[in-house]
Amino acid sequence: MPDWEKLVRERLAYLSLERQDENEVIAELADHLEETFESLCREGMSEQEATLRALAQVADWKGLNRKIYLARHQEEIMEPRVRQFWVPGLLGFSLFLAFSTIVESTSFGWYLGGKLWLVSHPLVVSLGRGTPILRFHIESLVLLVVVGAMAAGLSRWEGGTLRTSLLSSVFPSVPFAVVFLIAIPTGLIIVHPISYGVVGQQIVYMALGWVLAPAAALLAGGWLAQQLWGDRNSRQKRSPDYADA
Amino acid sequence: MVGSGIKRGTAELAILSVLETGELHGYEIARRIEQQTRGKLRFTLASLYPLLYRMEKRGWVRGEWQIAESGRRRRRYRLTSAGKKKIAPLRAEWSELFQALRQLAKVADA
Repeated sequence: MPDWEKLVRERLAYLSLERQDENEVIAELADHLEETFESLCREGMSEQEATLRALAQVADWKGLNRKIYLARHQEEIMEPRVRQFWVPGLLGFSLFLAFSTIVESTSFGWYLGGKLWLVSHPLVVSLGRGTPILRFHIESLVLLVVVGAMAAGLSRWEGGTLRTSLLSSVFPSVPFAVVFLIAIPTGLIIVHPISYGVVGQQIVYMALGWVLAPAAALLAGGWLAQQLWGDRNSRQKRSPDYADA
Repeated sequence: MVGSGIKRGTAELAILSVLETGELHGYEIARRIEQQTRGKLRFTLASLYPLLYRMEKRGWVRGEWQIAESGRRRRRYRLTSAGKKKIAPLRAEWSELFQALRQLAKVADA
């Protein structure tokens, strides 16, 4: 009788699973082939023919390598990415929108000891004929440091790497970059007869007020979170990534 | 030609249905499906295990290594509670689809 484990191991050389996992898959498939072989032999087939027939169940071993790898890993690849990047990033984006809306629609000052210390001032004032979307307030930037820290902290908590957590902290500025640097300028050129020079100038201010300054604030928050928490609080350290069903 | 999504869907239902009767190892699952469908549905090693592993990942089935009476070490699969809950809606979906197809066939024949 053939050494089924050896035959399967040779054919699943590209499985790329962890050692124990790989050994279990190979043992299981070898057991299946052995049973097929025994059944065919009982039906009167020669050992050689039964071996060929059993192995013929798999026409494409390389394809099977890939299918098994994906079946055992796909959700593991996807799930941490969602938990470590998308959830903190989108949460940060929602808070970013909420804070921006509040600050844009509210005029307030900071009082300390009964004295007005600071009145809300736009970081980038209205340009040209004044477009409200160009304004961005100092208060927003301060709040964004907190948002960035929260996103990075959440990402780290879910076991995200330093890079993932910093990317998730800065993520809220990405949709703004797309809107303010591509969509709005393109729209201005298409809809209005505005010269490229004016649009170029607006892009610079938009980039500063709505993309670069918030990104810097978010990143500062993310960096702060790294300094405060590091990877000490990673949930991954306390429990395995995947609980069996 | 039947699309891969439909094939996978029917295959999942077939596996869940045979496991409803009790624990089975991979080879037994394939044999049981073949017997119960009188050879109309057949699983090879290449089609069965990727699907079983995916279903296990989703938490519908659970495999455990056991020593058989013959002394052979085998991985036996059983339905989890999530898998049990999945059977009824899957059956309803497929039944609805087949009913719709039968109606279409009747219209075409008429």
